[in-house]
Amino acid sequence: MKTMFDLNKIDSQGGRVETTNQQSEHAAINALEVRNLNFYYGSFQGLKDINLDIEQGKVTAFIGPSGCGKSTLLRTLNRMYDLYPGQRAEGEINFYGQNILEPNQDLNLLRSRIGMVFQKPTPFPMSIYENIAFGVRLYEKLSRSEMDERVEWALNKAALWNEAKDKLNQSGLSLSGGQQQRLCIARGVAVKPSVILLDEPTSALDPISTGKIEELINELKHEYTIAIVTHNMQQAARVSDYTAYMYLGSLIEYGKTDEIFIKPQRKETEDYITGRFG
Amino acid sequence: MNNLSSNLNPAVYAKRKRVNKIGLTLSMGAMLLGMVFLFWILGVLVFKGFSALDFSLFTASTPAPGSEGGGLANAIVGSLLLVGTCTLISTPVGVLAGLYLSEYGDRSRVASVTRFVTDIMLSAPSIVIGLFVYAFVVAQVRHFSGWAGTIALALIAIPVVVRTTENMLRLVPGSLREAAYALGTPKWKVAFMITLRAAQSGVITGILLALARVSGETAPLLFTALNNQFFSTNMNAPMANLPVVIFQFAMSPYDNWVELAWGGALLITFAVLGLNILARVVFREKVQG
Amino acid sequence: MSDKHLSSQFDADLNSLSSRLLEMGGLVESQISTAMRAFTQMDSETCDIVIENEKLVNDLEIQIDLACTELIARRQPTARDLRLVMAVSKAITNLERAGDEAERVAKRTKRLIESGAPHNINVAEIRLSGQMAINLLRRSLDAFARLDTTAAAEVVAEDRQIDEEFRGFVRKLITYMSEDPHMISTGLDMLTIAKAIERIGDHAKNIAEFVIYVAKGSDVRHIPHDDLVREANKP
Repeated sequence: MKTMFDLNKIDSQGGRVETTNQQSEHAAINALEVRNLNFYYGSFQGLKDINLDIEQGKVTAFIGPSGCGKSTLLRTLNRMYDLYPGQRAEGEINFYGQNILEPNQDLNLLRSRIGMVFQKPTPFPMSIYENIAFGVRLYEKLSRSEMDERVEWALNKAALWNEAKDKLNQSGLSLSGGQQQRLCIARGVAVKPSVILLDEPTSALDPISTGKIEELINELKHEYTIAIVTHNMQQAARVSDYTAYMYLGSLIEYGKTDEIFIKPQRKETEDYITGRFG
Repeated sequence: MNNLSSNLNPAVYAKRKRVNKIGLTLSMGAMLLGMVFLFWILGVLVFKGFSALDFSLFTASTPAPGSEGGGLANAIVGSLLLVGTCTLISTPVGVLAGLYLSEYGDRSRVASVTRFVTDIMLSAPSIVIGLFVYAFVVAQVRHFSGWAGTIALALIAIPVVVRTTENMLRLVPGSLREAAYALGTPKWKVAFMITLRAAQSGVITGILLALARVSGETAPLLFTALNNQFFSTNMNAPMANLPVVIFQFAMSPYDNWVELAWGGALLITFAVLGLNILARVVFREKVQG
Repeated sequence: MSDKHLSSQFDADLNSLSSRLLEMGGLVESQISTAMRAFTQMDSETCDIVIENEKLVNDLEIQIDLACTELIARRQPTARDLRLVMAVSKAITNLERAGDEAERVAKRTKRLIESGAPHNINVAEIRLSGQMAINLLRRSLDAFARLDTTAAAEVVAEDRQIDEEFRGFVRKLITYMSEDPHMISTGLDMLTIAKAIERIGDHAKNIAEFVIYVAKGSDVRHIPHDDLVREANKP
């Protein structure tokens, strides 16, 4: 059973569990398993009895109308809600077998293994180089040249290297909106997490930036497990392997994206994705 | 054309224009009134204090009663020392307190009490603060000193720094903090390396404004640093400073003293003006960059 | 949740697609009827009517296909809506080919008339299977309009009967042609006509299969009949 520190061994795989060819043909490995999850904002129940698996190396999308709980669910996966008193989660979330809802869970370490990119691009008030180095320095000790390599690697992963390589010392805020968001993605990728959570990452961006980031997601999924919340159904259809439809805090349907968009099992799902909102 | 404006009522529109004009006139008038007094004061200062501006103002110390000439060198240096040491004390204390209030103390009892006390101190009469320091420091050691003056000034500056730091930190969007937490950053690093850094221009502005405020405070210094006729950098003894010198010289019968008082007033005013402008420039640069 | 889209224009567009499909179906139905009447009565003018109207059928196919493409481009339909558009696009191809078969019947009939051949081949089978084909087509379009999968499954089953009739007629023709070689030319024309009708039945069957696809989401082409019935009857 892997502990958080085992997963902390930084390698090119970013800490994922290795599968043999035989294994990957049969059993899908789940990076995260949510079991009987209930979530409360004070006395209001935001999530009702959620059970689902997030498969390693795949993109899982969460769709649903406003207030359905998809962002809430995403934020339980890295225990972001812990920052706010009055919000609590009950149930189990197993991250490679380890329940991260346990009270003695080291939150900072957890969040270095499960990263998150938010809707609003938030570059830190420092240079582009420092933005990326900041996260890395929290848990690793790298020499100057190793750090340079890591920064270049991360910016390449985020398809930002060519645009940024000549201005690494300029403030992160000097980039355009789409570039800033890619910087945030580079920042998240630089610490080599196992899972990357994306909370409506392209809502604030123009179509071209959106396209670039979707392309990025497509490439990143080979090495990372990705969960994305989006209110754009076509985006979910384009980028994800699995889709989960949520409504009023419950998980209505979860399945392969192709099936959900061609032949969903539940009428509620079909009504939502075809635009029959009543 | 008729289709476009068919529902406009000319009477309503005309009334609105009238009201607009009245409002504009009143606010322009108010502005002019304020500007008139500002420029009047500055004008008088320059007019009266200009004659005192010469090289000796900065090289010679305050003259003895009745003697000719003299300058403000000791007072200038003294003020610089007092304000400087005050800054050295109040900046770390104020910034750290503001950081605590904003980042750590959102709900705690201690935080709300601190805020309350800070607000009171912000509007406390400076003479009361001077008296307090007199009672607890000067009376204890039985002599006036520059250190007592520094303490008094710090007690005035710290609440200002605390308040502005806290407010500037609160302006930093929560999404920036969340982004840092999402990387696994521990709370103290988020506070110091991200939030504080994002608010740094605002915090620096707050410090500069606190400086500007204490540069001109007279009452507290009367009870603490008092004044010193001679040039001295001994903080343990009474310290010359511009505000008290002005106080002493302005109403005196000696012409050269009165002239020096105006000169000192001019210096202080332009120093405060300079600090304010600097604060603005710093803030604007950082916000744009 | 209601059955209507948030966008009423989208609803209108989808409904329009369905009704134009039915309109085309009605036209093809009448073409087949007319062609069969021409054959039964051996009337050359009636044949000309069918041949003349064939281009209407072709025009409709092109128009409806364009409407399908536009709908996909504008609305990016999913699930049921997507399946409907895909089915309509394929069904009109089937209808257009059925229309071609009707024209073929008319043309061959005309040839028969012009060659002045003796009518001593019993063509009851052709008349009968012609009726059955028209009936099947009507029922398949009806099932499409109501998305009635049970009726659609029945259509698929009954297409077999047309196939049987066809095979029977072929055997009869072979007998006739081998007995009297002068009949061969006429016989071949008859064969073509019979084959055309058999194909019309197949097209009706295809449309019925699409009904099950739209309603249930299962592609039931090329699967055994029992499985098809099972898919059709799923809740």
